[in-house]
Amino acid sequence: MKMTPAAIFVGSLMILLAVIVVVVYVPWSTIDTAPSDIFRDRSPLEAQGRLIYKANGCVYCHSQSIRTIDWGLGAQRIAQAGDYIADSPVQLGSARNGPDLSQAGGEHPDDWHIAHFMNPRYTSPNSIMPSFSFLSEEEMYALTRYVQSLGFKDADVRMERQRYWKKKAIEAYEAGPEENIEWLHDHVPQGWRDIPNPYPTTAAGLARGHKIYQEFCAGCHSPIGDGMGPAQPWIYPPPFNFTTLKNREISGGILYYQIMNGITGTAMPYFKKHLESEKIWEVGNYIAVYFIDQSDANTEPRGIDASWEP
Amino acid sequence: MNEKPITALFKYPTVASFCLTASFWLIVATFMGVLLATMLIAPDLVEGIAWLSYGRVRPVHVNLVLFGFVTPGLLSAAFYYIPRLLRTELYSEKLGLITVGLWNIVMAGAVVTLLNGQTQAREYAELIWSLDMALIFCFVLIILNFALTVIHRTEPLLYVSVWYACAAVVLTGPTYALGNVIWQPDKGALAGIPDAILLWFYGHNIFGLLLTPLAIGVAYYVIPKVCKSPLYSHTLSLLGFWSLIVVYTHIGTHHLLQVPVPTWLKVIAIVDSVAMVIPVSVFLINIWYTAKSKLGEIHADIGGKFVFTGTIMYFFASIQGSMMSLPQVQRVTHFTFHTVGHAHIGVLGFSGMIALGGLYYILPKITGRPIYSRFLADFQYWLILIGVTGFTIILSIAGLIQGHSWLNGETVYRVLPQIHLYNVIRASLGLMIFTGALIGMYNIFRTLFYNPEETS
Repeated sequence: MKMTPAAIFVGSLMILLAVIVVVVYVPWSTIDTAPSDIFRDRSPLEAQGRLIYKANGCVYCHSQSIRTIDWGLGAQRIAQAGDYIADSPVQLGSARNGPDLSQAGGEHPDDWHIAHFMNPRYTSPNSIMPSFSFLSEEEMYALTRYVQSLGFKDADVRMERQRYWKKKAIEAYEAGPEENIEWLHDHVPQGWRDIPNPYPTTAAGLARGHKIYQEFCAGCHSPIGDGMGPAQPWIYPPPFNFTTLKNREISGGILYYQIMNGITGTAMPYFKKHLESEKIWEVGNYIAVYFIDQSDANTEPRGIDASWEP
Repeated sequence: MNEKPITALFKYPTVASFCLTASFWLIVATFMGVLLATMLIAPDLVEGIAWLSYGRVRPVHVNLVLFGFVTPGLLSAAFYYIPRLLRTELYSEKLGLITVGLWNIVMAGAVVTLLNGQTQAREYAELIWSLDMALIFCFVLIILNFALTVIHRTEPLLYVSVWYACAAVVLTGPTYALGNVIWQPDKGALAGIPDAILLWFYGHNIFGLLLTPLAIGVAYYVIPKVCKSPLYSHTLSLLGFWSLIVVYTHIGTHHLLQVPVPTWLKVIAIVDSVAMVIPVSVFLINIWYTAKSKLGEIHADIGGKFVFTGTIMYFFASIQGSMMSLPQVQRVTHFTFHTVGHAHIGVLGFSGMIALGGLYYILPKITGRPIYSRFLADFQYWLILIGVTGFTIILSIAGLIQGHSWLNGETVYRVLPQIHLYNVIRASLGLMIFTGALIGMYNIFRTLFYNPEETS
């Protein structure tokens, strides 16, 4: 074959055109654009927040693309094409230096997000996300509205739940420490309240609990458990002061349940995705031993001792 | 008194100014890269400075590497070899200089707008509409200059490097315009899943239709020259050229295998990603057989050394890329640093190394005397070689840790402490690459403007 200028300039363009028809035009013209079951339009404020999300390059670390193989944040719902029909541009993302945000709406209340945007290490000490304290109050509010809309109708349900329990939590907090503690514990199912921490206190277990506490809890509850961590100024009701819990009939089960399930409405997230069972028992016992100074570890009823116990 | 080498600027102004463009933006681009890597280990490094926050610096790094360093570096060589191969002069040096000037304005504009948060937020297509249009205009000017040079040639045969250089700019012009959705000036995007399909069609073609053909063009020019032997096979050149254009353009959707796009499109993307072994191996066989038993000559020429190393990197990047398109592999690697490692061995290891090799090969030709310092060039070679190889290995490992942990049900947050050490090494290797960029700029600057060496 003799390569002429026409072959190079025109021939290669013809190939490109044919390929564009197959891999761009045909999908574009045949793809189903019906909205998915959770889809809804964005409010003007949410749309404005999305512009801030775009401008600050959130997409480089946060995907919005839940896969069948995912476990983490948002994995309760696999992405569908109909979720994205209003996104222009789409923000699917190509890296997860941070969690996927497809279903981030309503996972946390607004005050948690504000504390997190001010400095992500306030709520999540291991985070590598930049601080967004340079955003104005309005911008941060709009960005929060956008994040809280991720998941559309599912997010709306979660947000409604957050708002409902936020009101209850504030009422309980403002009624005073006695009522607040009673309210917090009343929500724990009776079965959990009756369970002591089934495992004995050991130095190694406390060391592990200490590490977990520093990586997950210290930002709000502070290194000494008094609730005066760096996130505290942005959070209301404020982070709980564990040192008030002595002689309040706190069981290992109550601590476990609250850590596992979180307290919706307050900034306390659920940790069941981050922490497996042993880690939750050990951080709970760390709090009980060091901050409450009262641990029910290894007391009856505890069933048959586990094989590894000393 | 020796003739001042500054004459290169007057004899080959387009070549020399594209060369300076590439070496300057390489410094800025790699500085941004080091800054990003440092922020991954010290996230409060620039706390409260909006325009230096990670999400704004990241597109500056990527765009400057692609359009500030690699493309101008490879174009510099193309502007040199096209007239030589066609036995004529470049159609218009003035047009070339206007192109370089506008190109640099676009790059400066990219830095300012992206750091200011003005972005279209589509990976590789971030630039705002006005900059998109200016860059497309640059491509039109280059197409004109190349085409008119081809028309005014005195050599009837078109050598394979000319095919690749011309095809690269001719195909990238329309691909860039389409991929950036220039008929939607405010958003620069389609809506929904088709936007993702178009974005990755475009995004992958920046490598497939711009960097790769330009780099291959330089390799096809430099390696036979350095080895002083004819190209191994014309048939392989033909096969490699046409199969590259046919196959590479199909594979963009392999970025979307885990996304609800039509299955037939994923199948096309995977099949063609694996089929990439055809254009890649055809090119490599052709180049490596040309260089057979001539490795001494290649080692003796610093340009040839860079270019030949780039072809080896191309081998590894391509094999890795084909593997990563397999769904079973991508289950682990997608969304992880593994992909970032792949991008670095492809763009810096392959096309970036060849761009530097092209520059070092042509600099003595256009100045009429050797490189200012062969030692510094070698030093830069090792800094970048160790930097990019180590970078890819470290990120491949970190990516596997991330991917397997996530598959095992661990959250992204839980895995961050595990990859911290790898990010520290990544920043250190980035510092080596940045140092290499500084040394390269100094060496090129001295070669062009103040070179006390004897005339070669």
